[in-house]
Amino acid sequence: MVDFMLAAVVSAFLNIGLLLVIIGTYLQNMRVIRSYYTSGLVLVAALLMLQNVVIVLFWSTLYMDDKALMMSADMVAHYLFTINVIQSIGLSILVWITRR
Amino acid sequence: MFATTIVFPVFSFSEIIPRNLFSFLGTDSEQSRQNHRFKMILWFIIAGTKGGINRAKILNLIKDTPMNANKIATVLNLDYKTVIHHVKILSKNELVTKAEKDYAAEYQLTQIMKENQNVLEEIMQKIGTN
Repeated sequence: MVDFMLAAVVSAFLNIGLLLVIIGTYLQNMRVIRSYYTSGLVLVAALLMLQNVVIVLFWSTLYMDDKALMMSADMVAHYLFTINVIQSIGLSILVWITRR
Repeated sequence: MFATTIVFPVFSFSEIIPRNLFSFLGTDSEQSRQNHRFKMILWFIIAGTKGGINRAKILNLIKDTPMNANKIATVLNLDYKTVIHHVKILSKNELVTKAEKDYAAEYQLTQIMKENQNVLEEIMQKIGTN
């Protein structure tokens, strides 16, 4: 059986890495062009990254020590996996556009 | 008896919401909506990509006189291959076109880019001051 939870965590860290690349690029541009547009881009990317960090924190809390909680988390892990993978695909496209 | 008072917000929403926030809903003409979309595209290509600043400089350089890639590279002190790459991205996004000359292709702004040069100037001013 595929461990959806492990895959979801890998995907979440991948998202955080992709967002770091995006924020880095946006910050470099913001240093040269200071405007509502460049700061908006940085803010949006930073909030998305915060979202991913909170997702990781939330699911690691579920895995603390409660067995029952852990089992119910396993039962819905494929949904978290799907959410994170869709986000990874979207962010990969954005990184490709941003860095080319 | 106490009369109930209704408390209104101390600020007015019209002050904090930008005037043309909902302009896409159709109060503006088709022309100005298209200009606004173009403005967003130009902002993204310049401010939202890795080589965006150099792309803005290239657009600014060739806005009056068409130039070939070699000359652009010399004037802006960039690598020739970098310029070719930027120009390729710019022409894929319909901001510059290639005009075949005797020996080298010259690049110039497209019609839509020429019509919206004020947006480019606005961005160039922001680059210049920082």
